[in-house]
Amino acid sequence: MTLLGQAPVPRDIGVFEWLLDPNSWTGPDGILVSLANTVILCAVVVVVAIVTMVPLASWLAHTRRGEVSVSWTVTLSRAIPTFAVAGLLVPISLRSGWGFEPWPIFIALLLLALPPIFLNTYTAIQQVDPGVVDASRAMGYSETSVLVRVELALATSVMLAGVRVAAVTVVATEPIRAFLGGDGLGRYVRDGLGQNNDALVIAGAMLIAGLAGLTALSFRLIERFALPDGVRRLATTTTR
Amino acid sequence: MALTVVLTACGDDSGSTADGPTIRLRGQDFSEAVTIAEVYGQYLQAKGYDVEILTPAGYRTEAIDGLRNDELDLIVDYIGGSLTALAPDAATSSDPDEVVAIIGPAYEEIGATLLDYSPAVDGDAFVVRGDSPASTISDVAELGYVFGASAQCFERPQCYLGYTDPAIYGIAFADTVTIEFGPLLGEALAANEVDAVVWNTTAPQIIEQGFKVLEDDQGLHPAQNIAPIISSNVLAEYGDQLSDDLNELSAAISTDDLLAWNTETDIAKRESDDVATEWLEAEGLN
Amino acid sequence: MIPLFGQAPNPIVRWEYFIDEWDQIQRALIEHLELTVYAVTLGLVVSAGLSAIALRFRRTAAPINGVTAFLYTIPSVALFGILVPYFGLSRLSAVLPLAAYTLLILVTNIVAGFNSVSPEVREAADGMGMTPARRILHVELPLAMPYIVAGLRIAVVSTVGLVTVAAIIGQGGLGRLILDGLRRAFWTPMTIGAALSILLALALDGLILGAGKWLTPWAQRGRSAL
Repeated sequence: MTLLGQAPVPRDIGVFEWLLDPNSWTGPDGILVSLANTVILCAVVVVVAIVTMVPLASWLAHTRRGEVSVSWTVTLSRAIPTFAVAGLLVPISLRSGWGFEPWPIFIALLLLALPPIFLNTYTAIQQVDPGVVDASRAMGYSETSVLVRVELALATSVMLAGVRVAAVTVVATEPIRAFLGGDGLGRYVRDGLGQNNDALVIAGAMLIAGLAGLTALSFRLIERFALPDGVRRLATTTTR
Repeated sequence: MALTVVLTACGDDSGSTADGPTIRLRGQDFSEAVTIAEVYGQYLQAKGYDVEILTPAGYRTEAIDGLRNDELDLIVDYIGGSLTALAPDAATSSDPDEVVAIIGPAYEEIGATLLDYSPAVDGDAFVVRGDSPASTISDVAELGYVFGASAQCFERPQCYLGYTDPAIYGIAFADTVTIEFGPLLGEALAANEVDAVVWNTTAPQIIEQGFKVLEDDQGLHPAQNIAPIISSNVLAEYGDQLSDDLNELSAAISTDDLLAWNTETDIAKRESDDVATEWLEAEGLN
Repeated sequence: MIPLFGQAPNPIVRWEYFIDEWDQIQRALIEHLELTVYAVTLGLVVSAGLSAIALRFRRTAAPINGVTAFLYTIPSVALFGILVPYFGLSRLSAVLPLAAYTLLILVTNIVAGFNSVSPEVREAADGMGMTPARRILHVELPLAMPYIVAGLRIAVVSTVGLVTVAAIIGQGGLGRLILDGLRRAFWTPMTIGAALSILLALALDGLILGAGKWLTPWAQRGRSAL
């Protein structure tokens, strides 16, 4: 939201010149505000995805249901063109009096975040050694206890990998919000494309890639430290 | 295959059979420009020219680059927009002849010839809802409106910068929103998300939704007649016949025609090529 | 003057559009398929090369992963936009970024696939007198297939989705329909474009899955790799 007095970015500015200028970071159009907007939306999306998918996927896996649906759900959701979904939702949102944000972009991003978390949680619980599960039942754990204290604990690293993939995908896709009446980090790419300002496009792209990279790194660190002793699961191919 | 070639060669016996290179034409990627490209393209095809109407893509920058890089031979642009693109530091004017005096030579420099401009105009429109108390843009100064426009408006002196410049309109907007150019502007205006948008004068939704175009009392908006620009090499191959034909078409298009075309494509949801064919038939031009 | 239409029906799908514009829709579908195939093929070739390097020189694995991951996070709109001034509104401007986005998943999966081959199997192959080339081609590659197929499926489906974005530089196939719909507030092409791209993705996914099963019949007995 540009307010009176904030000058547009000059076209001949250099990429690093703009990035290193403190004025680019401060103010309501600045990078810090845009960053905050992006992070908040992405965080909410991922949290909602976790809160909805982890219980559902764990229960389905624990009770050995829903095997076939898993693969198809993942493929289907990855095939949905996010921009089209969000674009279709915007006029509906406007006409219903809900404004440009947050619903269209929130729903579109949520669709992206649900599958990796669902799939990894499901697979992780499913892969837990049945011997361990039986042993804990034999030791007198209730079903809920088995699920929570045994299966989930062992499945953590794979689940965290799923959350990581979801978070990175959401952060990398969130820029389309700027093309649908919103702002966030995508605004610099949008403004640069509209104003023929290549430096702004490149700088904007770098900011987004940087945030996505930071997100990936942070989650990898969390994964490394959240492992139960001596258990390491391979989580490469299930989702990306 | 050979039969088809022979048939095509014998087929054009209405009007002149022009011999020369293929004219590659590409419209900018919004419905009005697509229709304009179809009108010019089909018109020339009916006259016997070998025209290739390429898939609409890109905007002014890509169109001008296409001419410069010899990927396109014919484009149709809005003269005020050409001015901003080719001579960003030159003073704009609401007088088309002044604008043409600058962009004509600018196009020559990139190997293209600017032909006569049409009376048809699609310029910038400062649009508000029908119930707004304002009737000129100056009236908006103290209303504390929320302003919506596309990204490029915010860095143009003839747009946002001019509206907020104390020496010109000096409007104090309460807030601004960047909205992709197109019907979303109307949706946002109708939904009260914004109070004023910058649209184009021939957007059919303006009339359809009862919006108001405010008068540009300070003369900020530049002249935006449409005009064809042809590759100088291609023009040389065809000679005066081509420029005469194009000028004849340009003279026949009016602003009302642009509005009618847009109403067909954006309100009635018809396709640009059909709209173009119908119009040319109605005008006896194909 | 063209007579104006009074009311404009704008349902989710207007079937006359589907029939009238079938040529255009068909062309868009074919263009979409072509772009997907070019991009994934290019991506596969480059990924094969990168994977070979990563597998042969272990220390390059992490940097290669970093580069492909970095490419993946560049917003597609930006990447298409940046290439246009250099390559114009051409297929190249679309195919290069699309191929770049497949590198991460393909390299990750090809490397994982070959890494899944246990050292005992390699030793056995060497013990039987196989040259490294034969071993890689006839032993390791088939064993790595499930991973490669999984990666290909994901790459193809993602690419189909991303091709729609390439519409902004005029190369979008079905994305052109979606974009046209967005620009004119016309739901029909948007819905058709989105629905067809989903169907195309599912069809290609099924095709590759089938091809994978046909190529690796032994992997079907036992737990399947997704």
